[in-house]
Amino acid sequence: MFHLDALSLIFLFLILLGVIPNLFYSQGYLPHIERKAHYLVHYFAFILSMLGVVTAANAMVFLFFWEVMSLTSWQLILTEPKEKGTIEAARFYFFMTHFGFVFLLLFFLIATRGDLQMSFEQMHGVVAHFAYPTLLFFFLALGLLSKAGAVPLHVWLPYAHPAAPSPVSALMSGVMLKVAIYGMFRFLFDVLYPWPLEWGVLILVIGALSSLVGVLYALSEHDIKALLANHSIENIGIILIGFGMGMIFDSLGLGVLSSFAFLAAFFHTFNHMSFKSLLFMGAGSVLHETHTKNIEKYGGLAKAMPITALTFLLASISISALPPTNGFLSEWMIFQSLLGSSQIADMSLKLAIPFAIFALALTGGLAIACFVKAYGITFLGLHRSANAKHAREVNALMRFGMLAMAGVVLSLMLFAPWYLRLFDQTMVALGHAGVYAKLFPEGVWSLHSVAVHGGVVSPLLLLGALLGVTALIYYASQALDIKTRLHRTWACGYRTGPRTQYSATGFAGPIRRFFDWLYRPEEHLHKETLAGHRTKFKSSGYEVHVKPLFERSLYEGSVKTVNWVSYWVYRLAHFEQTRYAAMIFNLMLLVLFSYRIFAHQFSWATFALESVVMLISFKVLIIGEKR
Amino acid sequence: MILYLATLVLLVLLAPLLLGFIKALKMRLLFKRPLPIWQSYYDFAKLLHKETILSVESSAVTRIGPMLVLAPLIVALLVLPPAMKGAFYIGFVDAFTLTGLLALSTFFLMLIGLDSASAFGGMGASREAFISALVEPAMVLTVFSVSMMAGSLGVGEAGVRLAEHFPTTHMASFVFAAIAFFILLIAENGRIPVDNPETHLELTMVHEAMILDLTGFHLALIESAASLKFVIFASLFASLFMPFGLGLAAPLALLVFVGKLFLIATAVALVEVNTAKLRLFKVPNLLGIAIVFAFLSLITFYVLGA
Repeated sequence: MFHLDALSLIFLFLILLGVIPNLFYSQGYLPHIERKAHYLVHYFAFILSMLGVVTAANAMVFLFFWEVMSLTSWQLILTEPKEKGTIEAARFYFFMTHFGFVFLLLFFLIATRGDLQMSFEQMHGVVAHFAYPTLLFFFLALGLLSKAGAVPLHVWLPYAHPAAPSPVSALMSGVMLKVAIYGMFRFLFDVLYPWPLEWGVLILVIGALSSLVGVLYALSEHDIKALLANHSIENIGIILIGFGMGMIFDSLGLGVLSSFAFLAAFFHTFNHMSFKSLLFMGAGSVLHETHTKNIEKYGGLAKAMPITALTFLLASISISALPPTNGFLSEWMIFQSLLGSSQIADMSLKLAIPFAIFALALTGGLAIACFVKAYGITFLGLHRSANAKHAREVNALMRFGMLAMAGVVLSLMLFAPWYLRLFDQTMVALGHAGVYAKLFPEGVWSLHSVAVHGGVVSPLLLLGALLGVTALIYYASQALDIKTRLHRTWACGYRTGPRTQYSATGFAGPIRRFFDWLYRPEEHLHKETLAGHRTKFKSSGYEVHVKPLFERSLYEGSVKTVNWVSYWVYRLAHFEQTRYAAMIFNLMLLVLFSYRIFAHQFSWATFALESVVMLISFKVLIIGEKR
Repeated sequence: MILYLATLVLLVLLAPLLLGFIKALKMRLLFKRPLPIWQSYYDFAKLLHKETILSVESSAVTRIGPMLVLAPLIVALLVLPPAMKGAFYIGFVDAFTLTGLLALSTFFLMLIGLDSASAFGGMGASREAFISALVEPAMVLTVFSVSMMAGSLGVGEAGVRLAEHFPTTHMASFVFAAIAFFILLIAENGRIPVDNPETHLELTMVHEAMILDLTGFHLALIESAASLKFVIFASLFASLFMPFGLGLAAPLALLVFVGKLFLIATAVALVEVNTAKLRLFKVPNLLGIAIVFAFLSLITFYVLGA
């Protein structure tokens, strides 16, 4: 039923790291929740089911806990069913998660030959004799990536995560998505190994697309939790870039580079768990105090909520991949593994990988912009609404939860070598090359890249240098005995007020305008002018809404297609009898012609002739004249 | 070690001078009466003696932020490639980390812009976020390509290796990378055509808008951060793309290095005088050129080996 090998243990550890601070936070958040019993039952069942998924030893148990995980998180989204949009979000989530479940089930049914109690090692034997492993790979990818939220199966994330209560959002985004990553590791390593080159390339492309799409939609978002949910898409993309590079290197026989890339993916999985949980907790605290998710209604919270502000800042720096934080370290490792592509002999692949580097670097730049927005608009400046004005620091349990999670972030930064050794041991246990000795050849102070001409980074020395230099400047300022005076910010002669500041919409303005072709925003501008003046007006407002491209094209597009098809089926059912006869005649023609084409020889001339005959009879007999 | 410290002190002292030199040269070229090139030092001394006015609306970010803007740049200064052969350099920092340090500094600068509740600060931060997001990919690709030619990603290491084995066989990709890096130098330091450091006009401000509400000591910190950033970029350009003259005797090598810095400053001044500032939404075109050159550099390196 259950087993605890290295991979299970490492993800068990990840879940516990994510869950334990969350327990405190959740306890502090509880007074805010109306249906307490409903919440608590599902909350603990959700945690247990995640633990069950990562320790499951056969497909049956895995699928059972996977489904329990989906159902409990679905119920947790429905904790506050009266909030606007919650029911729709839950329904969407329910649909998407079962869409993935169907493919997982198909994968297991084929890979176990119907015997779901089979262990994963035996499944490897079955798959080795299966003629179409790529089909299995597609089933697996659809099943797991729809849970992980990779493009194009990511659309549910920005709806489902904000609808859940904040501790649950932190768990879903920080931990549940990682359970899907566990599935990737488990089944690709244990069952579907070895991989053809194309699979790795596919995962790399999905990763690069997800990272860009995630960060671009995060920038255009005004709902703080939806913004963070979009960043989860981005970070899953970054993890998948590392994962894809690992697969590519492995199928090319570059074992050391492959292990390095997988280590980077592992590390980013942990890092994203830590800072995304922390960010959702911070957002939850802000939401708890201001009762709104709209980022435009925040402002100036750093003074009222210092602990929330400080932990949120730490997580923002880390998720923006700025040195010397843990987020920087894992992204550095992923960059290094991309640089390892210079060792690939295949020229087309070698030339393609710089595009992934480009995507990852652009993602990094945009993530910085996005978190300056998220932090700056939320915590800095003046309050933009009465709710923000009356915000106070949250209760002790919630503060403790956030500080504990900040501790996890810091530990990932300070003890990175220790974590990396754990990941390395997991890779060795999975039967891949160990690279720990190559990462730290001169002790734990500096982390070396295994790529040829690779670089070095020493997070602790950097941290020490940064702190030391800052302290020196601080003491210099003390020694200079600077006189300070408080005064209002100059606002061109008017009083400084909440409305003199930049808004989140305005902040993202240049980027939104540059990516206009992608966003295609709906803009609403209203102005009440004063007595016909063109330049003088009483009130004015500007709103902009961005509907994600994938939702518009892929999802709504398929709905439209289905509607169109069903319309024609309906028309068909209400034809006159003469038309039915005509259709049967046409079908017969089609059968005869195609029989001749397939059974006898094929020639373009007769094919063209027959097509013309078919078209004419179709037009004349079925469509008829336009009325 | 002595040489390392001497270079460091020289670079710090030289930093305001270079910006002053650019300003003076520009004024001379525009037939204005130039400022003394020491003006930046006078300004710095004056700012240190002035009272620091803090905005009532601002939070701890404004009080600590300027130090955190300056600190990563000082750390970046410590890890630059050596200016002469045999000098000590710090080997445990690579180009990605350096890029990250510069981004860290910009991150806090943008937060300071948003902290004072002024429309200018937000506007500057917003524009800076836009520009630096697009600078990032060009920077990383250029770094990647240079590391190929130098045979190392480490900043110091790359400088030394390029000086020892100038990549004569890879001249084409080397020149492409140099062009890309020069555009980045202009963009990251907020010079014309990306930003005009001399105006206080809300249509054009980027860097100045973010720091509009800083005074006294804080402004001195930010101003020195700006000049240090220019020195970092200029000396990176000098070490990576003009790697000659390192083998001379120590004082002479240092002199050659300073000469290179002034050459770069002159080039920047000439670009500033001869181009108009771009509209904000035209800036991506310029950065796009940098990205294309970085790609070209990589592709020529891979495909042609040239």
